[in-house]
Amino acid sequence: MEERQSNKAGGVGGVVLLFLVGFVGSLVIGWWVFPQLLFSQKTQPVRFSHKVHAEQGMDCESCHTYAKTGQFIGLPSTASCAECHPDETGGATDNEKEIDKFVNQYVKPGVEVPWLIYQYQPDNVFFSHAAHQGFECTSCHPDVANMDSPPPYQQNRITGYSKQTMKMWECERCHASMGTSNACYVCHK
Amino acid sequence: MGLDRRAFIGLVAGGAVGTLFTPIPWKITDDLSIWTQNWHWIPRVPRGEVTYATTATKLCPSGAGLKVALAGGKPVTAYGNPEHPLSQGGVSPIGASEVYMLYSPSRVRTPMRKAGGKFEPITWEQAQADLTAKCKAAGNKVACISGDAGGTSGEVFSAFLSKIGSSAMYAMPGEAGPAAAGFKLMGGQGVVGFDIDNADCVLILGGDIFEGSGVSVRNRKAFCASRSQGGAVKARFAYAGPVRNHTGAVCDAWIPVASCQLGALALGVAWHLLKAGAAANAADMADFKKLVEAGYSPDKVFKLTGVPAEALAKVAASLAGAKAPLVIPGSEMGQGMGPGAFIAGMSLNLLLGRMNKPGGVMALPEMPAVFPGAETPSEILARDLAGFLKNVGEGKTPAPEVLLVHAANPAYGLPESAAMAKALEKIPFKVGFASFMDETAAMCDLILPGSLTLERYDDVVTPYGSAFCSYTLVKPLLAPIYDTKTPADFILDTAKKMNLALGHDSLEKALKEKAAVLAKAEGFMAGQVMPWEVLAGKDKPAFDAAGMWKALEAGQAWVKTGQVAQTGLSFAAKVLAALKPAKPELCLAGRAPQRVGTPATGIPAQCTTAIPASDFKDGDVYVSMNAATAKQYGLSEGSRVTLAGAGATCSARTHLSENVMTGVVAVPLGFGHTAFDAFSKGKGDNFLSIMSASPEAGTDMTVWTGSEVKIA
Repeated sequence: MEERQSNKAGGVGGVVLLFLVGFVGSLVIGWWVFPQLLFSQKTQPVRFSHKVHAEQGMDCESCHTYAKTGQFIGLPSTASCAECHPDETGGATDNEKEIDKFVNQYVKPGVEVPWLIYQYQPDNVFFSHAAHQGFECTSCHPDVANMDSPPPYQQNRITGYSKQTMKMWECERCHASMGTSNACYVCHK
Repeated sequence: MGLDRRAFIGLVAGGAVGTLFTPIPWKITDDLSIWTQNWHWIPRVPRGEVTYATTATKLCPSGAGLKVALAGGKPVTAYGNPEHPLSQGGVSPIGASEVYMLYSPSRVRTPMRKAGGKFEPITWEQAQADLTAKCKAAGNKVACISGDAGGTSGEVFSAFLSKIGSSAMYAMPGEAGPAAAGFKLMGGQGVVGFDIDNADCVLILGGDIFEGSGVSVRNRKAFCASRSQGGAVKARFAYAGPVRNHTGAVCDAWIPVASCQLGALALGVAWHLLKAGAAANAADMADFKKLVEAGYSPDKVFKLTGVPAEALAKVAASLAGAKAPLVIPGSEMGQGMGPGAFIAGMSLNLLLGRMNKPGGVMALPEMPAVFPGAETPSEILARDLAGFLKNVGEGKTPAPEVLLVHAANPAYGLPESAAMAKALEKIPFKVGFASFMDETAAMCDLILPGSLTLERYDDVVTPYGSAFCSYTLVKPLLAPIYDTKTPADFILDTAKKMNLALGHDSLEKALKEKAAVLAKAEGFMAGQVMPWEVLAGKDKPAFDAAGMWKALEAGQAWVKTGQVAQTGLSFAAKVLAALKPAKPELCLAGRAPQRVGTPATGIPAQCTTAIPASDFKDGDVYVSMNAATAKQYGLSEGSRVTLAGAGATCSARTHLSENVMTGVVAVPLGFGHTAFDAFSKGKGDNFLSIMSASPEAGTDMTVWTGSEVKIA
């Protein structure tokens, strides 16, 4: 009987302690381990240096163009990259080797580079770049113009989308701050 | 301190409570909801630059030019091509389905051979070896049924048959066949077309010209142009037929008349015109006049058709009083009409002096062939496929050893369809150049899957009903999705391997040759100036012969407005004298809404939601009749009805509609498929099966409009 009472008294403290252990442990798992597990990391098929191109005076629209219809084309095609990089450089620098890799693997066979898109929106979202032309690209996109290597692509293992894909609340917050309608049909046609 | 039960619960509870203060439950819930949006069977929006390319529809008989939107090189939507004379921006439901049909679940994806009652995939080489061996063994006992007898692809099949000594080339029935046969019987030269654009008074006899009959998209545009919003009405339209269909609904007047009595109605109108002094410079004018005056007086026509004399007189007066009247004979379901009924309708155009006049009937020249030995489309169209197969089925005509079926579905799309399918069974070796697993393909011994319109080179040559010659290029907008080939290319290659040189290695080369021949034929590229404007007197634009192929590739149509002068055109009074208009107690009127596709396409998936409940609801097909007819047979809205005819029966439910004349049951065609896919299969019955195929008195061509039906 005494032993049981002793256990009961020590047990309350133990239970509280273990509750705290569980509580803190789950916070660690939830805020640190879970994000690591949720996203896989991938690298771009070609280490494209935005910095090198920006230093040559090119701006975003030099490659990320609009069609005559006003449609944003997004990524340049292999053919348009090949307008400047049609042949191997034969050079020994890292950048030259990367250009040669691009030429050999994509330009010569005539295939498109399977670029990993950081901010592809779901099919049910109609996003018009033309309607957002007044903003700086970096308002929504990472400032890659200063990066020599593309940032790692973090893919959500459940949804398949990139970690950088803009969520609906972000769109809504900006729309609200700009006084733009947040009606469903504005983005969901 | 040990980990007893309480301590464990404390740990778990702490973990659970702590988890609520982390992103885990909220992020997983959110991500799972997003995950469900991307299951693999959910269609995805194609990514990439949206571009536009031009071609023309082959699945739709309207031959309308298409403007196809592509996303990242993949076709996503088809619009009408505003620059194309047969479209002017309009598109039919079948034309619009050209994109979606690429991905139809019933597409045949690889060559197949039937073995032990089941199909097994084979290579194209094996398929070619099989076909070559069978054709060599059959000698000249090879026949072909084509759904594209007017195009250059049909020409390839015709040339192939000609090389092996066969003339058994048949076209699927439509209005073009009886028109070709009828015009020939009248001593006409060329192919008839109807200049609706420049007419100011149009009498439509039967044909649903704004739905699926002839160049329906062009016809709709011409109708709209004649009564632009806020503008004066430039042309009056009257529709005579058993059902106030899509054509009858928009016309200024509807004259209810059974389709088997349209010929009598036309001759009744002729009686009034003759009475008013109309005459034509035809050798048998006197015979015609005598025939009409004796047999088609107003009271006789009333007894036969139920159309009052005043109505006939009013129609005749409208036609006689118009500057540019036009009469268009046809069939309400686009098939089954006889040459005699066509001639009766055409007799009005002769009396009104409307041959080769703006706003009248145009006799168009046939396009030059580029494959030596190929028959002209008129020769092929004038043959009686339904009669041929019926005779084969009854053992009156020997069955061919080999049958090539090209872009056609005769096992479904002919009258007395069950009997026709039995006749097909008598043919020992059947080869289907089919894009879809339709009823005929399912019966074939060898299936050679055909690339669809957007995957191949082909052409559209002057569709039936057009008032001007036209030539439109069909060009591939993407590589074949499956292991398919252009049927004409396969035949050309097979002929080469059989040492039967047809003249060209590929269809593309033949099309270039055809374009080069047409470039010398005094036509022009439509666009800035349209052919009906030239018919009305506008100058033809300059024509750049050297740039014709490029212009065709850019989606422009080559057109020509010249007509064939007629010498010796007659009323074919002897044929008309032999006509015996039937007067069944209850007869069928077929409706062929484009939403349910064609026999060769089945019901396009995207059209299923557009089928009205008055045609199909809760698994039942509805036939329409008016309240008087329903009362006579003890039927009411929604009651189940069994229709019997031609030794077969069809079940349906009843829909009451005053758009159907008394004594007629209007039946929607396009249902009752036993093949294709879930979108087509198992939906009601095929009403063609209860339509009797019988020879027309005077022409002997098989007719099935206005078939008698019994309510079982």
